[in-house]
Amino acid sequence: MNGDPAESRARLYLWWSRLAAMTAKELIQFGRDTLLLIAIAYLFIFDIYMAGSVSMQLNHAVVVVHDADHSAASRELVYRFRPPYFKLGGEVLDNREGQRLLDQGQALVVLDIPPDFEHDIRKGKPVDVQVQVDASNTVLGFLAASYSAQIIGQYGFDQALSRLGVTERSIQNVPMIQSQHRVWYNPNQRDAWFMPIAELLTVITIMAIMLPAAAAVREKERGTIEQLLVSPLTPIQILLPKVIAMTLVILLGTAVSLFFVLHGMFDVPMKGSLALFFAVTTLYTFTTAGLGLYIATLSRNLAQAAMLAILVLMPMIFLSGAWTPPEAMPAGMRTAMFLSPLYYFIEMGYGILLKGAGLDVLWDSLLGLALLGMVIFGFGVWRFKRQFG
Amino acid sequence: MKIRRIVALAYKEWREILRDRLFFALAFVVPASLMLIFGYGLTLDVEHIPFAVVDHDKSAMSRDYLHRYIDSRYFDYKGDVASEREIEPLLADSRIRLAIVIPPRFQENLMSGRAVEVQTLIDGTFPFRTSSSKGYVVAINAAFNGELLGSYISRRLGVSAETAKAMAQPVGVQLRYLYNQEVKSVWSIAAVLMMFVLMITPPFLTALGVVREKENVSIYNIYASTVTRGEFLIGKLAPYVAISVINFLILWLMATQLFGAPFKGDPLFFLLASVIYVTCTTGIGLLVSLFVRTQVAAMMLTVIVTIVPSVLYSGLLVPIASMDAAGQFEAHLFPAMYYTDIVLGSFLKGVGLEQLWGKVLALLIYAVGLWTASFLMFHKRPKS
Repeated sequence: MNGDPAESRARLYLWWSRLAAMTAKELIQFGRDTLLLIAIAYLFIFDIYMAGSVSMQLNHAVVVVHDADHSAASRELVYRFRPPYFKLGGEVLDNREGQRLLDQGQALVVLDIPPDFEHDIRKGKPVDVQVQVDASNTVLGFLAASYSAQIIGQYGFDQALSRLGVTERSIQNVPMIQSQHRVWYNPNQRDAWFMPIAELLTVITIMAIMLPAAAAVREKERGTIEQLLVSPLTPIQILLPKVIAMTLVILLGTAVSLFFVLHGMFDVPMKGSLALFFAVTTLYTFTTAGLGLYIATLSRNLAQAAMLAILVLMPMIFLSGAWTPPEAMPAGMRTAMFLSPLYYFIEMGYGILLKGAGLDVLWDSLLGLALLGMVIFGFGVWRFKRQFG
Repeated sequence: MKIRRIVALAYKEWREILRDRLFFALAFVVPASLMLIFGYGLTLDVEHIPFAVVDHDKSAMSRDYLHRYIDSRYFDYKGDVASEREIEPLLADSRIRLAIVIPPRFQENLMSGRAVEVQTLIDGTFPFRTSSSKGYVVAINAAFNGELLGSYISRRLGVSAETAKAMAQPVGVQLRYLYNQEVKSVWSIAAVLMMFVLMITPPFLTALGVVREKENVSIYNIYASTVTRGEFLIGKLAPYVAISVINFLILWLMATQLFGAPFKGDPLFFLLASVIYVTCTTGIGLLVSLFVRTQVAAMMLTVIVTIVPSVLYSGLLVPIASMDAAGQFEAHLFPAMYYTDIVLGSFLKGVGLEQLWGKVLALLIYAVGLWTASFLMFHKRPKS
C-alpha cells in the first residue's frame, strides 16, 4: 500500500477509471430501455405539469338554498354566496330535496333560511340560519363550513351596523377590529406554486430509491452480479457507479423540470440560490439511494424489491410535511418524521425556492439531512459489502 | 377455453407466489401496514399552528384578545417578539406559520370607539393550510367584534347587555356536518385509504409477475404449450385477484374495527363493487406488463399509472370538485375516482346501488376494457 508515489498514483487512477467505466456502463444500460426513459421523462415533465392544475381550494362549490322567507333580506344573504368559492345551484322546495342532492353529491352546501327571516331581523329577534355541509371529504367540508360561517357572520354584522345607522364613512367610529391579512411567499396562495414543487420532490424520492434498487437487484436476478464479483472490482466500485449514474439522471430530470415546468409554466419564483438547491438535491438523492441499496440486499427479485420500496416510499411521501402539517401530527408520528430524509428536503426545497432562504436559516435542516443521509448510505453500503464482499 | 387448464395455470402461479416467501408475506404486509401508518398519521386537520405575537400595546385588552388565540387548540403560542423585523427569519425557518401584530394604542382606540387594524402575517407556502389559518383568524375576530359591538350598543343606546348582544349578532349560524358529524378526518381517510391501497398494491403485484416470465424467458414454455391466450391471462391473474380480494377484506375490517369508521351501506353491494375495482387495478398491472420488456420499466410505468393518479386524482387529498377542467378530465380517466365515491357512499352516506350504479358501471366498463386490451396485446407468437 505504501509504495512509491507514482505507484499509488497509478492505483488511484486505476480505481477512478474503473469507477468511470462502470458508471458509463450503467448509463448505457439505462439508455437502452426506451420505455423506461419515456416513463422517467413523463414523470419529470408531464406529471409535474399536471400537478399544477390541481388545487385544494374551494372552487365553485354548489350551494342550494331552501328559502322559506323569500324576502329582500334573504335574497341579499343568498347572493353573498358567490364565485370563486361558491356557486348557486338553485332553490329547493323542501329539506328532503336538499338532502337528496347532498346524497348524490350534486350539492356541497344546503342553506336553509327560516320563515320570517327579514321580519325577525327587523324586530331585533335573533334568528338562526341552518347550513348543512357534506363533510365526507373533510378538506372541502371544512372549507365550505368555514366560508359559509364567515359569510353569514359578516352579513349579520352588516345588518347590525346598518340598523345602528353606521355607513361606509362612519365605520371608523365603531370599535371593531379590521383584519389585515398579508400572505408571504405565495401572496395569491396559488396551488400551482405548491403542488408542482411537492410533486417534484416526490418524483425525486421515488426515483432515488427505486432506480438504484432496481439496478442492483437486476444484476442479482439475472446472475450478472457473479461476473462482476469475479472481476477485479471491489463491492464499492460495483455499487457506487449505480448510485452515481442514477443521481446524474435524476439531477438532469430535476433541472429540466425546474426550468421548463416550474419556472417556465407556473412562474414559481425561485428566490433562493439555485446552486444551493442542486447541491441539496445531490446530497439527498445520493444518500437516499442508500435505502434503495438496502432494499436490494433484502430482496432476491424485483417483485420483492418493488413491494419493499412501496412500503418505504409511501409513508415517506405522505408523512414528511408537504401534505400533513407536522404540528398537527400525533406525537409518535412527529418523531418518526424527523427520521425521514424527505422531511428535511421539503423544508429546504420550499425554503430555497419560495422563501429565498439561505444557509444561515437552513443550516439545521442541512445538518439533519447530512447526518441522517450518512447513516442511511453507510448502512446501505455496509449491507451491500457484507452480502457481496 | 378449458377450465381444467385455467385451474392448472392458476395453481402453478399460486405455487410460485407461495414459494417466494418474502413476496408472499409482503403481498399482505404492505397493504395492511400502509393502512395502519396512514390511518394514524395522515391527518389533514390544520391544528396547533405555531404563531408569534408582536404586541405594541401590551394592555389588558390586547392580552384578552391574544388569549383567544393562545387558548385555542388551533393555535400554538410560540412567544412574543419585539418588532416586525424579527418575524421574517422565524417564518423563513418555518418555526412559526403565522404572526399577529397588534398596533399601538389598541385598547385606547377601541375604548374611545374607533376601529383598529390588526395585521396577520401568514406563511403561504402550503396554500390549504393558509386558507384554513385565515378562516380561524377571521372567526376569532368576528367573535371579538361581536362582543365589542355589543358593549358599544349597550353604552350608546342604553339597553341591557342581553338585548345589545342580540342586536350585535342578529343572525346566527347552525352548522350541520352531514355524514361525518365531527369532521373527523380519520373516518373519511380510513375509508378512502381502502381505495388508495387497493389502487397501488395489486398492479405492482401483477405487473412484475408477468414481466418476470418474459425477462426470464420462461414465457416460451407458455408460447410452446397448447394453452390459449385467454386461458393464460385468466389463469395467471386469478391468484392475484384472489390475494387482492383477501386484502380488501382485511382493509375493510381495519377501517371499521380499528379506526371505527361507520359502515352504513349494503355490505354485499360494497363487496361486489370492490371485486370489480380490484379486477380493474389488477388489469392495469397486466396491461403494463404486456407493454414493457424489462421489470424496471414495468416498475416505473406502474408508478406512473397508479401512485401518481391515486395521489392527485382520486380525491384522497385533493378534492376533485375543486380541480380545473384539465384536472377533472384526467381524474375521470382513472378508476380510483369512481371507487372513491362508492367507498364514501357506502361508508358514510349509506347509499346503495340506485345512487351509485353509474360509478359501478364505469368500473365495469373499465375492467372489461382493460382485459380486452390485454387480450389483444398478448400474442403467443411475438414479432421479435
